Amino acid sequence: MRSQLSTRTPGLALMAGFFCLGFAMEAAAIVGAPLTPVSVAGVARRTTRRVVVASAATTSAATTSAATASAASANAAAQSAQASAAQAQSASQASAAQAQAAQQQAQAAQAQAQAAQAAAARPAGAPAVGSVVSALPAGCVATPKDGVEYQNCAGVYYRAAFQGSNLVYVVQAP
Amino acid sequence: MRKKLHSTFTPLAAGAWLLLALGAPRPALAQADGIDAKATSLLKAATTYLGGQARFTTEARSTIEVVLKSGQKIQFDHVATFSVERPNKLRADRRGDLVDQTFYYDGKSLTLHNTADKVFATVAAPGTLEGMLDFARDRLDIVAPAGDFLYQNAYDVLMQDVTAAFVVGKSVVEGVRCDHLAFRNPGVDWQVWIQEGAQPLPRKLVITSTDVPAAPQFAVVMTKWSLAPTFGAGFFDFTAPKDARRIDFLPIGGGTSLR
Repeated sequence: MRSQLSTRTPGLALMAGFFCLGFAMEAAAIVGAPLTPVSVAGVARRTTRRVVVASAATTSAATTSAATASAASANAAAQSAQASAAQAQSASQASAAQAQAAQQQAQAAQAQAQAAQAAAARPAGAPAVGSVVSALPAGCVATPKDGVEYQNCAGVYYRAAFQGSNLVYVVQAP
Repeated sequence: MRKKLHSTFTPLAAGAWLLLALGAPRPALAQADGIDAKATSLLKAATTYLGGQARFTTEARSTIEVVLKSGQKIQFDHVATFSVERPNKLRADRRGDLVDQTFYYDGKSLTLHNTADKVFATVAAPGTLEGMLDFARDRLDIVAPAGDFLYQNAYDVLMQDVTAAFVVGKSVVEGVRCDHLAFRNPGVDWQVWIQEGAQPLPRKLVITSTDVPAAPQFAVVMTKWSLAPTFGAGFFDFTAPKDARRIDFLPIGGGTSLR
């Protein structure tokens, strides 16, 4: 649904964030448009906000809206991949319930599946490493590593961070 | 008649018309050239008064406009409560349907905590309120709405690039009689409403971006001023809840994450 919306209005209304101390705004801002300052001293520092930071994605001189569209389709792809993974998982869980002895086997299979997923190359069309999104795709799994929590969204790893006052997710190298 | 008029205007033309209307000189207030000493002295009185308050709280209700590609303007409203204890404590509580966020500054570090998301970020910060506000704005892109007034030297901060200033007249903001002042800077016009009488508190601030198409505005009304609040022990200190995860701040312009 989300991705459909974004595809219909490419590059228009990204949920952009802009913080003001103790008060942030979730503004459907145009990528590339400066926001009006919220303090007189902030005028000089008025920044152009890009929630979908198209750094790596635009190296091939793609337009921002094209980058947005590709990010959206990547998200959609990630979602469908996640859905099929979930299906596979529930099937194996059902069989495990039928035969208790098979539980360990199922766990092993699950671990194997996870390992395979991790080992697999980043999914085709995955958002560029370093790009920033304001919301995670559905079905992400919290995956702590070295004291940092990553979100594994069908093989694409995200890490939460504050950009201004807004909670965003940065795509990580696998 | 109204309808006919509207139908002949495309949204873009309407935007241009609006820009013209805002930029056009108003005959009754044509004295916007130069800096009127009456305006600056009223501003000076207000900033000196608030700068002299050891502690205070206020509620800031703000509205920001965002211009869409089509030229259409959209508004977003926010409410935040500010608690200040000079020289180096600040807390901002932002509550609403969509947000549940607290900003802490305890004189050593600043923390942003999203309660519902169970995440927080903490970073070392300068040892004064003024230094922290500069740091938050320049490094983290965290800007206080009407934050200029929080500075002890607010007058200098506000007047830095002013090219014109005048007194618009008397006005009433939410039942409080005020002096209405108007200022111009390169790229922005701003207006401030200052309470009349012995407590010259800022009651309202409007900032207009004159260099952005459709001239979007930011407006904040400051109400519920308390100049003798009592802050409990640890009110400005952040203690991480057990289930909260620590995350980073993304610094402006990229570079290493701050934590």
